[in-house]
Amino acid sequence: MATACGTTHENAPGASAGAGPATQACKGPGAAKFTICMSQANLGEPYRVRMDDDIRKAAASIPQFTVNFADAAQDNSKQVEQVSTFLTQKIDLLIISPNEATPLTSVVKKAYDQGIPVLVLDRKVDGDAYTSFIGADNVDIGRQAGRYFKEHLLPQGGKIVELKGLAGSTPAKERADGFDEGIAGSGITIVGTADADWLRDKGQQQADALLKAHPDAQAIFSENDPWPKVPGSPRRTRARRRCRSSGSTGCPCPRAASRRWRPGGSRPRSSTRPAGRKPLPRRRNCSSTAGRSRRRRPCRRG
Amino acid sequence: MIRIGGVPVRFARPADAQRAGVAMIHQELDLVPALSVAENVFLGREPHTRYGVPDPKRMVRATRALLEQSGVDLDATAPVERLRTGEQQLVTIAKALSLNARILIMDEPTSALSPREVERLFAVIDQLRTAGVALVYISHRMEEIGRVADRATVLRNGEVVAEFAARELTASQVAEAMVGRPVQQMFTTETRPSEDEHVLMVDELVVTPKAGRREPAGISLSVGAGEIVGVAGLLGSGRTELLEALYGASPGTITGGRIQLNGKEYRPRSPRDALRNGVAFVPEDRRISGLSLDHSVLANTVLSVVDALARFGVVAAGREREAAHNAAAQLGVKLRTLADPVGALSGGNQQKVVLGRALLTKPQLLLLDEPTRGVDVGAKAEIYRILGEVAQTGVGILLASSEPAELVGVCDRVVVLRGGKTAHEFDTALAGEGELLAASMGDVR
Amino acid sequence: MTGRRVLVTLFRFQSVFGLVVVFAAAIVFSPSNDGALVFLGADNLLNVVRAISEIGILAVGMTLVILVGGIDLSVGSVVGLASVGVAELLTTNDWALLPAVFAILALGLGFGLVQGVASARFRIQSFIVTLAGMQIARGLARMWSGGEGVSITYGDGPGQAPVAFSLLGERTFNGTVPIPALIFVVVAALAMVLLRVSAFSRHIYAIGGNEKAARLSGVPVVRVKVLVFGICGLLAALAGIVHAGQLNFGGPNDGSGYELNAIAAVVIGGTSLSGGRGTVLGTVAGALLVGVLDNILQLNNIDSNVQLIVVGVVIVFAAGLQRLRPGRAQAGP
Repeated sequence: MATACGTTHENAPGASAGAGPATQACKGPGAAKFTICMSQANLGEPYRVRMDDDIRKAAASIPQFTVNFADAAQDNSKQVEQVSTFLTQKIDLLIISPNEATPLTSVVKKAYDQGIPVLVLDRKVDGDAYTSFIGADNVDIGRQAGRYFKEHLLPQGGKIVELKGLAGSTPAKERADGFDEGIAGSGITIVGTADADWLRDKGQQQADALLKAHPDAQAIFSENDPWPKVPGSPRRTRARRRCRSSGSTGCPCPRAASRRWRPGGSRPRSSTRPAGRKPLPRRRNCSSTAGRSRRRRPCRRG
Repeated sequence: MIRIGGVPVRFARPADAQRAGVAMIHQELDLVPALSVAENVFLGREPHTRYGVPDPKRMVRATRALLEQSGVDLDATAPVERLRTGEQQLVTIAKALSLNARILIMDEPTSALSPREVERLFAVIDQLRTAGVALVYISHRMEEIGRVADRATVLRNGEVVAEFAARELTASQVAEAMVGRPVQQMFTTETRPSEDEHVLMVDELVVTPKAGRREPAGISLSVGAGEIVGVAGLLGSGRTELLEALYGASPGTITGGRIQLNGKEYRPRSPRDALRNGVAFVPEDRRISGLSLDHSVLANTVLSVVDALARFGVVAAGREREAAHNAAAQLGVKLRTLADPVGALSGGNQQKVVLGRALLTKPQLLLLDEPTRGVDVGAKAEIYRILGEVAQTGVGILLASSEPAELVGVCDRVVVLRGGKTAHEFDTALAGEGELLAASMGDVR
Repeated sequence: MTGRRVLVTLFRFQSVFGLVVVFAAAIVFSPSNDGALVFLGADNLLNVVRAISEIGILAVGMTLVILVGGIDLSVGSVVGLASVGVAELLTTNDWALLPAVFAILALGLGFGLVQGVASARFRIQSFIVTLAGMQIARGLARMWSGGEGVSITYGDGPGQAPVAFSLLGERTFNGTVPIPALIFVVVAALAMVLLRVSAFSRHIYAIGGNEKAARLSGVPVVRVKVLVFGICGLLAALAGIVHAGQLNFGGPNDGSGYELNAIAAVVIGGTSLSGGRGTVLGTVAGALLVGVLDNILQLNNIDSNVQLIVVGVVIVFAAGLQRLRPGRAQAGP
């Protein structure tokens, strides 16, 4: 972890107990060993696999660190249980990306109260019983996407559909709220929404259904980006054609920038950015829409 | 050691035996109902053309030849499910022949056949014998053994206990060898039926089975207290349907007529309802509808009375055990412990468990459907004795059977059904098996 | 006791012996902390029991259903529905604790009874009925909650749940025994006694052993089956309430896949899926076995995917053992 050797870490006030082990780790070789536990909400989304991998890689370079991983497979109870099991093992640092906020709050608090530093990644927990939160400003993501729609995609207004995340998860709600804020005052109306549970297969299926149900929709706002992504699928073709024929100004397709935009933001505010990727200017971090051809390639007209 | 043609063999699986020319016709037929006769005969080894394409024509031709060889007249292309049980059995024989069987083992082949079908089977057996096929014929029916076999071997507890020249054997000889002691008499049933006290009165009852329709018909009969009344009739005569209707086992099939039990109107809604009214039933096939084979003798015996034994829903283990013990002792069930699975008992003892369960409910009317099918001679005699004892306590018994000897030997009167209708009634003191059979088949005098 | 009877007992309680074996293995493979085995720590062991308590409660109901030869795929969704329901009633609707709990239990009971009637009275296979029930309960849960999780906050104010409900997330006896584990133990014990002494249980086993024979023996087959599905639904609702109490949260998506975990516990417990054979003790041991396995694998930092594989192997192994079981009825008269 980048935070481990005391470069930048944002300890929440009052969490000084957690700072102890991390600073000790830097006293040089021969120091005590540390156990870090990482509780992941699920490994069904690629960026979460990446999250685990990056933690593993970062820790590998520090011989005193052992990292234990657990995957809750989208199950709140299972994640509570896994964290409880970690707590019986006298760990030195807990990193958690909660499946949902409220259910995980009490167990995170329990860890924090035991004096274990807790880093909460991506999705939040309720209250402030954790050391540090690293994640995206989901409201801002939504808001910027909304503005992009308002200013560039459909300045004259129009009908769009929205593909949401897992109902009940914080990022889904925050992004949707932000998006509504962003498009406020424009002529854009959301004519249909669907929950895709952050999952790729579900997302594609729901996007398909949405487009069938609302043939008049001019664009899709999707809260996650692996969704409308199978190249050559009939839906994509149809959507593209519709994009073109709709006569809306500007291509209703996203710019390359949106590839960085994922649930829980792999664009964290802190310095713990996954290695090997260039940061992207925040401004360009906007929506993903149907008809996007590939993640990295900008959409060309025609 | 097993030798075939003088060569010692050892079979690890049925396929080995088939290769050596041994085939078995099982009691339960192993045919695929939806496939045709020819497809069943060649199942798994369908003939192919030179190009590896299935050759149905050749298959049908070969099947016809096989059927002809055994003197059977069947359509090789007909689906097996449309054939009667007897015909299906002939298909399995044809299948065995197609495997070039030199030795054919038949396990109770006639148990499900009508007399006419039995005759046809015997004709086929004769034909096979002339063709040089050796047959092992396993049966409980003495008269059949006398007819088809040359030699008879009696087994008891896995040992050979006697060998006879089959043409000379008498039923009592074989029975004695099987039971291991002299059987004085098969039918020791004694009853003292009451003349004027009727347990059951059935008047012009019409039973319409859910599957298949039947012409409107009417069954009329009565059972007196302490009387054993037989129900005769061929398959499809409405025998089983009558008993099931009286027991409420197939509610909604009664479409006309009336039933009186002890002088009161009676129309059972369910077996539970029937039991509550003092009617108990021993079904035809104990494995399918009588017993839970994996479960203990205890559990099977007390099942009908277990909630009556309970207080506030709780069954005291002692009372349950006591009831089962008494029933087993009364019926002479041979077992090691009550905890043994009932499936481990012999057919006769299994049947006694079913009978014991019915008797534990203290019925006033006992309905029995083929109570001695697949039961050895010794157990048969005991079941008859028990029925006599039960009747003497004033219970009325209605016994359906396809064995004329049994009906004549056990019952006071026999009612013959034909096409869902009472066709005749005999006093067994006056009529014999011949009259009974003739009446069943429609030859009414 | 003859050798055969010993063998029969061994097979009958295979999961209990399996549990002993897995437990012993867990001790051997347990990491230690300051010389003490982490696995054997009271904290850890109670965690294991708490972790399986929801699945365990479901598995007890599932055992009854499977004993009558049925299956209930809806229990996982009913957990979600009940957790949302109790959360909504306690917060949004401001119900008192007991009325809310009883209403949800009644809801689960009713849901089960309806499924029972559909499958027993109208003779639709329980697999199909409860597959439909699974979708319906999930849909109801999402509708009720508006598709979002319902957070439970405690207090006396409007929209706040009674503090007593948070006890479900607590531990009793000086903070040692988790309440959900206690509920599970009570449910399992009641079911064990029920299956041992009641006339009802004789009927359950008889129906699973041979339904036709049971009916002809005067067993009220439809009534017993309907009741069994009702009990299963009731226990699913109870598990859902426990779920909500533990997480302070009613999740409309929660509980998915629980039905399969419950079935796994039942199968490992030696209950035959064709019905008529099995014990609650076996199921409890089966659930514990899976819990201990998961725990020891996690303590050793073994990939969760490997955990899935190990549980899969155990299920096949348990089912395979049942095939070898002595005392099965032989074919032939």
